[in-house]
Amino acid sequence: MKRKAARTAQPAPARRMAKKPRGKVVRATNRPAKKRSAKSTHDAIDMMIAANTSALGLTLDPAWQPNIKFNLQLVLRHAALVDEFPLPDDAEPAPVFHA
Amino acid sequence: MLDMPNAPLGTAAEIAAAVAAGRVSAQAVVETALARIRERDPILNSFTAVTEDRARLRAQAIDDTRVRGEPLGPLSGVPFAVKNLFDVAGLPTLCGSKINRDDPPAKRDAALIERLEDAGAVLVGALNMGEYAYDFTGENIHDGPSRNPHDVGRMSGGSSGGSGSAVGGALVPLALGSDTNGSIRVPSSLCGTFGLKPTYGRLTRARTFPFVASLDHLGPLARSARDLALAYDAMQGFDPDDPACADRGIEPVAPILERGTDDLRVAVATGYFKCKSAEACYAIDRIASALGANRDVEIPQAERARSAAFIITATEGASLHLNRLRSRAKDFDPATRDRLLAGAMTPASLVYKAQKFRRWYRDEFLKLFTEVDAILAPATPITAPLIGQQTFMYGDAELPVRANLGLYTQPISFVGLPVVAVPVPMMPLPIAVQIITAPWREDVALRLAHALEVKGVVAAMRPPL
Repeated sequence: MKRKAARTAQPAPARRMAKKPRGKVVRATNRPAKKRSAKSTHDAIDMMIAANTSALGLTLDPAWQPNIKFNLQLVLRHAALVDEFPLPDDAEPAPVFHA
Repeated sequence: MLDMPNAPLGTAAEIAAAVAAGRVSAQAVVETALARIRERDPILNSFTAVTEDRARLRAQAIDDTRVRGEPLGPLSGVPFAVKNLFDVAGLPTLCGSKINRDDPPAKRDAALIERLEDAGAVLVGALNMGEYAYDFTGENIHDGPSRNPHDVGRMSGGSSGGSGSAVGGALVPLALGSDTNGSIRVPSSLCGTFGLKPTYGRLTRARTFPFVASLDHLGPLARSARDLALAYDAMQGFDPDDPACADRGIEPVAPILERGTDDLRVAVATGYFKCKSAEACYAIDRIASALGANRDVEIPQAERARSAAFIITATEGASLHLNRLRSRAKDFDPATRDRLLAGAMTPASLVYKAQKFRRWYRDEFLKLFTEVDAILAPATPITAPLIGQQTFMYGDAELPVRANLGLYTQPISFVGLPVVAVPVPMMPLPIAVQIITAPWREDVALRLAHALEVKGVVAAMRPPL
């Protein structure tokens, strides 16, 4: 099967809003969101751990929390490095790799 | 017992030649190996099970075959051992864990054990490893650390630590390990052995305990490049019992090891792979000089590749162990458990991005092999750290040991390329260099490793005792 020519992904252009949304105002902009403070990121990870613990049916000793948090932050830092790399929409994943 | 220059036992090639010629019996070789294990392993802690009765029966059968005048296999009488994630009939497959001790014994050997024994090799036991293969140190909270044969206060490297320790300590001339992110190449570097991580899909993984299915490889550790080639040749071939095993014919390397290397274009990886320790730089320079490698290549986005491998490992590993994390979390090594739990909580969208990046990176990496035949890179940033050491200085940065011993191996196995780790002997501790080649070109890496060995540039150092 012939693949589409690869395109270099760029941030999607801001879409013009057809209607003014109700309620919370959503601005169509490419400006990056404000960086969260270190404290709010930590709180978000604590909440992420709590939510996943419940959703996945895990039973965790509270004493494990700091190490899980350290490791989750580490994975997310690695993930951010990958996530920021532009890839075309039609990039093929390689979940089972064939050399 | 055997008057052989390489080590108390000799290399696998020397043993097989001596057994075939009738200069020594397989039984005598096996008894020598068993005696050495009894003598040295209480210190090295590389074995978790010794299969004495089975080994003696097997050796007797080989000697009987020779007496009858029937042909012997290319590894006849060669003692070998396997990382304890390989199924060994009659033993539970521990995979370095406490939890798996409750599993019933395996009913059948792993496919690669069967293939080595078909070639005449003799299994003498199962080897210590990092829990569930999620490890670069060789430490194990349940079995104790396997120790570096050149300094028993230091790490063997992981997760095939027992394999590195047993071969580096010359308890056996040959061992099998697994390599998901560097677990053959890191112990080879720290223990000073030769190690082969073949192309992903080359060697069957049937009847071994997995870790990260899309990254898991199996391969040999040995005390010479020829021994790697002999074992590799004996283990090749399609196996429908491993869904990832490629349907390729056997491509023997041992007969072409001496073909020479003048036609091969070798380059040194720069950028991310630029060494920052005196010992890693010395090893790279020595090998590059011996091979006439006078050009550099940059492997694109290698740091990001390592990050992507990190994410896929954490999440696929977590998925594999999710039920055990639910039911027996307290029975894990905390260092393994907490990383797996973090992996279980990582959003799938980020994992999928890593898999997409993997394809991109693979395509870019393979382009380099239109210009060169092999690329050299350090195997580890440093020589063996002390057991229990938490961090090391690398350049200006203080890095955690556990995560960073695989700094240079992860971006290579991430796209399944074949690598031979070659040990550069140094006092007091060895270190290895990776010879990386295009997919399915293990022959090129092994020819280069053999040429370096002939020139005396690389060698498995003789252990102190």
